[in-house]
Amino acid sequence: MGRNFKNLNVNPCKMCVPMGAVTAFYGIKKCMSILHGSQGCSTYIRRHMATHYNEPVDIASSSLTEQGTVFGGEKNLLQGLENLIRLYEPEVIGIATTCLAETIGEDVPAIRHKFYEMHPEYRHVRIINASTAGYAGTQYEGFFRALHAIVSQVEMQMGHNEKINLVTGYLSPADTRYLKDLLAEMELEYILLPDFSENLDGGHEKDYNRLPQAGTSIEDISLMAGARYTIELSHFVQAESSPAQYLWEKYGVPYVRLDLPTGLRGMDALLAKLVELGGRLTEKISKARSRYLDAMVDSHKYNALGRALVFGEPDFVQGTVKLCAENGLVPVAALTGAVCPSFKTALEPELAAAAETQFVSGFVIEADADFARAEELVKELSVNLLIGNSDGRRVAEKFGLPLIRASFPIHDQVGGQRVRTIGYEGSLRFLDRMVNALLLQRAETFREDMYRKYYKREDDHAAARPKQETDRQVLAESGLDAAAMLAKKTAEHPCFTCGGGKYARIHLPVAPQCNIQCRYCLRSFDCPNESRPGVTAEILTPEQALAKYKRVKTDMPNLKVVGIAGPGDSLANFAGTSETLRLIREFDPEVTFCLSTNGLMLPMYAEEIIKLGVTHVTITINAVEPSIGAKIYEYIDYLGTRYTGEAAAGILLGNQLTGLKYLAVHGVVCKVNVVMLKGVNDTHIETVVKKVKELGAHITNIMQMIPVKGSAFEAMPLVSHKDVMAMREKCGQYIGQMLHCRQCRADAVGTLNNDVSIRYRSCAKSAETASEKNLQRVAVATKSGMLVDQHFGQAEEFYIYESDGEQAHFIERRSVAKYCRGEEVCDEKASRMEKLLHAIDDCGSVLALRIGDSPQQKLALMGIRVITTYDRIETAVNKAVRGA
Amino acid sequence: MDTVLEERKASIFAQELGCGGDGSSIGCERASVSGAVSQRACVYCGARVVLNPITDAFHIVHGPIGCASYTWDIRGSLSSGSDLYRNSFSTDLREKDVIFGGAEKLQRAIEEIVQEKKAKLIFVYATCIVGVIGDDIEAVCRQAEEKFGIRVIPVKAPGFSGTKSQGYKLACDAMMRLIRPHYDEKLKKCGVNILGDFNLAGEMWIIKNYFHRIGIPIVSTFTGDASYETLIKAPRAAINIVQCAGSSAYLAKRMEEEFNIPFFKVSFFGVEDTTNSILRVADAVGDAAAVKKAACFTTEERRKAESFLEIYRPHLTGRRAAIYVGGGFKAISLIRQFAEMGIKTVVVGTQTGKQEDYTVIRSLVDADTVILDDANPAELERFMRETKADILVGGVKERPLAYKLGIAFCDHNHERKHALGGYEGVVNFTREINLSINSPVWKYLKEA
Repeated sequence: MGRNFKNLNVNPCKMCVPMGAVTAFYGIKKCMSILHGSQGCSTYIRRHMATHYNEPVDIASSSLTEQGTVFGGEKNLLQGLENLIRLYEPEVIGIATTCLAETIGEDVPAIRHKFYEMHPEYRHVRIINASTAGYAGTQYEGFFRALHAIVSQVEMQMGHNEKINLVTGYLSPADTRYLKDLLAEMELEYILLPDFSENLDGGHEKDYNRLPQAGTSIEDISLMAGARYTIELSHFVQAESSPAQYLWEKYGVPYVRLDLPTGLRGMDALLAKLVELGGRLTEKISKARSRYLDAMVDSHKYNALGRALVFGEPDFVQGTVKLCAENGLVPVAALTGAVCPSFKTALEPELAAAAETQFVSGFVIEADADFARAEELVKELSVNLLIGNSDGRRVAEKFGLPLIRASFPIHDQVGGQRVRTIGYEGSLRFLDRMVNALLLQRAETFREDMYRKYYKREDDHAAARPKQETDRQVLAESGLDAAAMLAKKTAEHPCFTCGGGKYARIHLPVAPQCNIQCRYCLRSFDCPNESRPGVTAEILTPEQALAKYKRVKTDMPNLKVVGIAGPGDSLANFAGTSETLRLIREFDPEVTFCLSTNGLMLPMYAEEIIKLGVTHVTITINAVEPSIGAKIYEYIDYLGTRYTGEAAAGILLGNQLTGLKYLAVHGVVCKVNVVMLKGVNDTHIETVVKKVKELGAHITNIMQMIPVKGSAFEAMPLVSHKDVMAMREKCGQYIGQMLHCRQCRADAVGTLNNDVSIRYRSCAKSAETASEKNLQRVAVATKSGMLVDQHFGQAEEFYIYESDGEQAHFIERRSVAKYCRGEEVCDEKASRMEKLLHAIDDCGSVLALRIGDSPQQKLALMGIRVITTYDRIETAVNKAVRGA
Repeated sequence: MDTVLEERKASIFAQELGCGGDGSSIGCERASVSGAVSQRACVYCGARVVLNPITDAFHIVHGPIGCASYTWDIRGSLSSGSDLYRNSFSTDLREKDVIFGGAEKLQRAIEEIVQEKKAKLIFVYATCIVGVIGDDIEAVCRQAEEKFGIRVIPVKAPGFSGTKSQGYKLACDAMMRLIRPHYDEKLKKCGVNILGDFNLAGEMWIIKNYFHRIGIPIVSTFTGDASYETLIKAPRAAINIVQCAGSSAYLAKRMEEEFNIPFFKVSFFGVEDTTNSILRVADAVGDAAAVKKAACFTTEERRKAESFLEIYRPHLTGRRAAIYVGGGFKAISLIRQFAEMGIKTVVVGTQTGKQEDYTVIRSLVDADTVILDDANPAELERFMRETKADILVGGVKERPLAYKLGIAFCDHNHERKHALGGYEGVVNFTREINLSINSPVWKYLKEA
């Protein structure tokens, strides 16, 4: 068994039996098929076939329900047959049973008998049944089982005729058409079973006919018993499903079973047999053969590069393997999903010989295989080419290999119905696709491969540095040495350099969310007169931030730094932060980017912020010991989980330090802020400073805590300015100290000494506060949630809105059934109407699609206006309030 | 040749047929008519559609191979993490298993998976045969959970046991089973769960971006781009919003009952729905800043979408559309989106629409529009021809029929590779309609 798991099929390399049966029925003239089972089988199979053949595929189902499953599906099938005849007027109906029908033991021949008795008017419709339980094989077996059912159930005409029976397996319609052309060319009379060359690959007709008009006719099939010979193009068909064997045993029609005519040998064998049967070998055929020979030679060297894994139905795999092998393309693996006992012995000589020629050490032939096994073999056998149906696309995608699509299904490309694999021309086209895939593969990779293999440079390290569109690179390209430029940027950064008067910075408040809670912090919006971190009067979108930057830059030529400092954490809002920086960088390639962060997300985003061109980062690190951190941080929200206590502090501190180190190593100038908290970390700060210095911090900024009303540390005694200065002096021996910090707002603008942020605040504020006027509450009866589309009396829920007539604001959804407000206990027996009324008794109006008279009167008594309408909810609510 | 079977007439509203009365009710939510060539799928399909996007789950189909084979990686749900869900696992039952029972094989299969891979979450779908042979998959799953300490959740979805909607419900029950142990009434509730979006072509990402932008935290997504870790956080959300009500309103109701999480419905199809939904969510869970940002954002996006539509409208106005989709929600939103383009809906049908969906549909379309429940190809062919539809919106099974009839087509099913949600979706959808309806190819067919 070709599977990695014994009890599990992982990515099936097969489909089910009924799929094959209905495909075979598609090759019969004016035939419809019905699957006896539950509805899904026909739908899935239709979907699979429709996407492969790009033709309408109509397959009925007896749509068995629970009842049919328990008491038998006879009634369903009888009705199904009748309906199918009414809708399509077929001359033939193929019934294929599914797993379900077979398991519950449906006696289809008896049902068919009953149908004819009930409907003598439909006796002309030939009903053929195939027993095709889904678990009893694959689509391959199903196909032949249906063919066998057809030849054994159609009444045969006795008496000999001059025809040859040609029975085929799962060919493409285009290949089927080829066989017909070939036999006509050779002037042989034939019966082709099945013939889906038109039904599954039709043209565009002025009038579409939903009943398949072409295909093998019942009349032709009835002549098969009298034919002089049968050729069955299948190596592996099981004896009990073989039409050829049946015709031989029952009617004495001699037969031969040939491999698919894929490749020279397969086609030669078919031709030889046809000539033997009196066929004319024309010049056209000979020329096709000689062209194939010529092409074999033309591409043999490229073919030798191929190590193919071929998968699919047994006959297809065998034919393809032979084609590969005779062209020197080594088929290192042959897999089929079918259980096929003779598969290995039949293929072994081909694979062995091919492998031996090219000194390929191993090859694998396995039946009952799945694609998980195929993946394993791709690695094991260094496969460079996949040949089979579209189900191999995942393996192809995973390993970046070309997949030559052939056989069934091909649902991710067009033209599945036109794929050619047989005859000299068909084989050649198939071979060309393989060799071209190999050539393309080599053309696309050989420069890189050779370069990697042979080219050695003087300074490998310099050359190996990955290309990155970093800020530093932009600078370097502008002719300035990167280090010098960075120093210049640092010198112009008001927070990293002494004296706050010369250069201006702007803090863009695009980052509202925070992912940690510091006990000294309470973030709020709109305190225009307060100045401290975490405060902003507004939140900007990246586009608004860009607009603001442009305005300020025009007014302030000394604006050198764009900082993102909250009001939350710049990295807890990474999408907004990165988009803002990207937009500004497009506008201004020179301005310095600075971020301030608590560091929690630094390990995740450090690489990206460097790519964005951030050169300066401030990290607030208040402790390096989790036990101390736990006193400062109430909680952190990290990767979807809220942590508290030392666990929280541990993660946070670890990430801060990792992030700092990464940034420092990659050349980012890092400032570390430390908030000095009396009795909490004041004796620990020296340790913090030493640690961050060791990890590469450029400067530290030890700050006083600003007591914030409502925060946990609101009442904490403050360290004195003197204490802070002493600490800074002490730490100055390890690292540079920032002595001029102004603890800015998250929307600060200007120089440190002159914040002018108030000038640049959004002008859109007026609209927001103007709306305290005339708010009215409106209840909406809705089913869809988007429209007023529910009858009041039938409402199960109301959407509650408030509107001033201009802007509708959603309040909540109220479920009528469970609706119960306030402390009053809902009366279990309260009538539905009472609940309805109760649910909306605080509203001024109610909107519904329709309403009865009685509730309308009751609502009027409650002083609730009723409006019946059909409209979008928000529009209707505003209209209602305006009309009030 | 009949085109409309007697048994089907109750499920069709068409003026000229005289069936369906005044259209106030239509035969729906009933079993398909045998032999009518229904376009419907099955219970298993419904359950699989909803659960499949859970990216890091092992989805094991317990049954013969067909069901696993036909549902393997055919859907457009995208993942930002694991790719596991793009594999197909099946116990691949054979004749012997059907006779002797498949429970043991399932048990061994689960063991193999647990031993070979790091499984956290396994869904076991029982298909038709298992429903008949009576494997006790409930017991197998329970034992596996106990033995390995992971979640193994049975989804008993034999195809014959109802329609696709029944499958949705089973999927919702399975998810409740997954997240229920993670509910703690003491949890502080915060943020939003998005229900009923499957991240087809990245639609869930589009919606999440909107909320990110206006500062509203998303807790879990059902089930687009979901994973075990994200799903189990769902009970902590403050509110659920439901996009595809057909599949997920039931889950929202259960979460409201059991976890006390209120929900409301939203829609991200079309400019107006998207705008109203964003504003509604901001009103319901955002602070003043979020409401303001939502207003600014939607105003801007609406303006952009409008000016985009202005360009395309002349190409589309006056054309006629046929709609045949899975559920009522999608049909309704499509009718309205077409109206925004100036396109009249002339045929509309669904596989699993409910009575109230059809009531809404009835009130949205003109009197001469044909409405069908559980239509078949013969009916679609007839009515698309008679109403002179220019384009069909449907699933891949309907596509070749439209083409044979010389009618343009737009994919609106789970296999699509273009995002149709949000403002981005408006642009994509409009382009899709234009590129097919105005393709030069139709002209040559007419000449021929």
